[in-house]
Amino acid sequence: MGKMLAVRLVRLVATILVVSFLTFLMVNLLPGDPINALVPPEAQNNQEFVEQLREEFGLNDPMMVRYANWLGDAVTGDLGKSVITSQPVAGEIWRRLPITAELALVAIGFSLFVAIPLGTLSAYKQGKRVDQSISAAAQVSLSIPNFVLGLLLIYVFAMRLQWLPATGWTRLTESVSGNIKSVILPALSLALAEVAVYTRVVRSDMISTLQEDYILSARAKGLKDRFILFRHALRPSSLTLITVVGLNVGALIGGTVVIETLFAIPGLGKRLLDAVFQRDFLMIQGITVFVAVVYVTINTLVDIIYMLVDPRIRKKV
Amino acid sequence: MNMTLRKRGTGMRLTAVLLAAVMVATACGSDSDDTSPSATTVATETTEAPEAPETTTAPTTEAPATTATPTTTTEAPPVGPAQGGDASVGLEAEAPGLRPWEDTCSSPCYNMMAAVFDKLFEQYADGSYGPFLAESISANDDFTVWTMNLRPDVVFHDGSELTAQTIVDMFVVHQTGAQSAGVIASSKLINVEATGDLEVTYTLSGTNAIFVANLSRAPIGMVFAPSTGADEDAVTAAANAPIGTGPFMVDSRDVDNKTVMVRNPNYWMSDSFGTQLPYLDSVTFHPIPDEGTRLSSLASGTVTAMQSLRQASIRDARDTEGLWLFEHQGNNTGGGMFNVTVAPYDDARVRKGLITMSNQAATIEALGGEGISLPTTQLFASESPFYSEAIAAAYPTHDMAAGAALVQEYIDDPDRSDGLAVGEKISVTLSCPPDPTLIAAMQVSQVLWEASGLVDVELTGFDQATHIGMAVGAADGTFIGTHDIHCWRWGSEDDPAAGMLSGFGDPFDPSGAGALNFSNWYDEEAYGYVVEATLTDDVAERAALYEKFGLIMVEAMPIYFSGGTATVIATAEGLGGLDSWEMPDGEAGIGHPSAEGRWGQAYWAAE
Repeated sequence: MGKMLAVRLVRLVATILVVSFLTFLMVNLLPGDPINALVPPEAQNNQEFVEQLREEFGLNDPMMVRYANWLGDAVTGDLGKSVITSQPVAGEIWRRLPITAELALVAIGFSLFVAIPLGTLSAYKQGKRVDQSISAAAQVSLSIPNFVLGLLLIYVFAMRLQWLPATGWTRLTESVSGNIKSVILPALSLALAEVAVYTRVVRSDMISTLQEDYILSARAKGLKDRFILFRHALRPSSLTLITVVGLNVGALIGGTVVIETLFAIPGLGKRLLDAVFQRDFLMIQGITVFVAVVYVTINTLVDIIYMLVDPRIRKKV
Repeated sequence: MNMTLRKRGTGMRLTAVLLAAVMVATACGSDSDDTSPSATTVATETTEAPEAPETTTAPTTEAPATTATPTTTTEAPPVGPAQGGDASVGLEAEAPGLRPWEDTCSSPCYNMMAAVFDKLFEQYADGSYGPFLAESISANDDFTVWTMNLRPDVVFHDGSELTAQTIVDMFVVHQTGAQSAGVIASSKLINVEATGDLEVTYTLSGTNAIFVANLSRAPIGMVFAPSTGADEDAVTAAANAPIGTGPFMVDSRDVDNKTVMVRNPNYWMSDSFGTQLPYLDSVTFHPIPDEGTRLSSLASGTVTAMQSLRQASIRDARDTEGLWLFEHQGNNTGGGMFNVTVAPYDDARVRKGLITMSNQAATIEALGGEGISLPTTQLFASESPFYSEAIAAAYPTHDMAAGAALVQEYIDDPDRSDGLAVGEKISVTLSCPPDPTLIAAMQVSQVLWEASGLVDVELTGFDQATHIGMAVGAADGTFIGTHDIHCWRWGSEDDPAAGMLSGFGDPFDPSGAGALNFSNWYDEEAYGYVVEATLTDDVAERAALYEKFGLIMVEAMPIYFSGGTATVIATAEGLGGLDSWEMPDGEAGIGHPSAEGRWGQAYWAAE
């Protein structure tokens, strides 16, 4: 286990270095000068002033020097300051992370809550009408873009029924009920496609598991089907699901940009998008590297969960 | 002034929008269907509204219910709007910060800034300037020394007093501000001195007859506590915790989510009925970048107001039940420009030929502005005192034959500047940001130009930051740009001088006189008229000079127009006051140009 963790740590560091460098390179290749976003054209003919700003943000240094400086600071937790807002990048990330994380986790939680029973039922009733209906519904839900679903949800629940707010976010620390109301629609928009994916994954693994001999033995012993499904079959059928969920969490941390923009949620994804348009290179760098760290960390956790779930893997390690 | 209050009673309909990408939120927000920034400034509107375009339903104008008109002397005296209530406003974009001297700001952001900061001067309904935080201003004969008197007994949100020294201390901050440093230079301001407790003397390096216009806008016209610019930490903190003298104070700021502002209990201004302003207890600003969901938020009651600079949103808002609409179309207009340093756009025959072949009505339709946007022919709206009938008549109308003849003349010219052989078609590149309506508008031009058989048209599109960067060019002292034919936006409610001086100055002038001259067109005679217009404050004289300039420009055609920018502030039924706010002397203010609301005088009408 210790050796596994050490290997993962080395991989994490290597990943961060590669991701950060590639991001830095790509951002610097983007057309457009951050000075244009910061300073109006009529002020740019004041060469002294522009030079002062360039020095302040290190824009005159060669790219590798800037990268090295950034890396040196990043190791100590200083990801620099936004060129546009002059606010610390790390502070922005910590401020927005709880929002995106909550959105992602609620979406995944809802997806699992629906997908596990559906997938199990679908596998149990393989080939029957129930299975076909669930598979068809999964296919339909996969084909609906999440922003289209978001618009439909806004129309129904916000405009027509006025049960939930159309946009905005109430932090958990501000109001629990307000937070719940503000997370429902965006989380549902994200969850639908995930429900479809998880359902199919659970169904597929469950079908294989249900054909195992020990399941036959359990049946022969007279155990109830429901007990067999959820006590004996579900756990070994969840390894793929754990992998997929782990990948999804990482993807959602950085991939909620469309939903965050649609629902005007101040998350990491939206901030990253704004930073790209503003050529706020330090913010782009900081958020991208952070998402990479999260991704690798979550996948390491997935491997640990594997060992906890499946003793066969634990023994191998 | 083209502002109408509309109340719609038609049914709702489902709006399904495919979202491709989200516009930049640079504090710029998106300036509607064409790109920002505006290169020129324009003053004034008259109180008379222009004829509105054909609409499917008749607009109605409704006065605020709380203002009662007495009919006999025995009746109670008139009362103004009542205090109380909260408003929440959906904005196009978040403000990157609330520091007028430092942060980029456009329409959405100015809604917030105007709630926190007062300006020294504001515009009346007719566009002329009047004192607001100042009480008076006068200039010497050559407009190089201006003496201003501040209003007494004004305090900042932190309790400190507004004095002449405040303005002096602000000037120190202005000199290094990202936004203010350039304005200081272009306004020719070189010194600010406190010549009395409330008397300030501005000294300019040269004549600037419209210096008061600079004091009516950010950055140098907005009054902030100088302590917020004192050092790096203070500057960083001020982005989210500004200190002004305005009707509201920032209570909390969750960037990209909501900024809550509460009533300033010590606000200096009362309305003409003696009620202390503001009327509202609080106003909360929510950035909601997506146009559709911003309107949905209003319709669902998530917010009580929203602003937009997009025709499609105005159209949808008109069809939504239970809203009051405060629409406006002023000097700001969509259009584009030719980079006259690039062949074949360096030849006026090509420029004028292409625009003569263009069809502005069809372009407006493609932009979704039919029945909303008015066609434009110049930098000033028809209500502006600087509007010219002569320029309107000279601006080319759609004429395929005449336009093609001009282009043909170029093509047949053995000395044609693009180096191609006589008889070969010209090749042009038209670029706009990748907005669906802009793409449709570009396609209108492409179809028309290619139909002549004389032009090959390539369409390109870049994100807004790149689009602007291409026009601005490199800061190598020339700012020529790397664009061809480029979508752009022109005109504003500001005095025209400020924008036109750098908007049409010599782009090769090392002093930066043409820093905003994105088309790179410079005519010495024409520019002379623009300079001359800054030497007098007589409106008729200035109008005549701008007309002379405009007639030369129409012949040269470095820039073109594709319909006025219609804007709207839509509110829940009952939330009014945006078109009826007053100056301290009780006269009507300019309203809400570019969807910039004065929330300090907004109110909930009594039922």
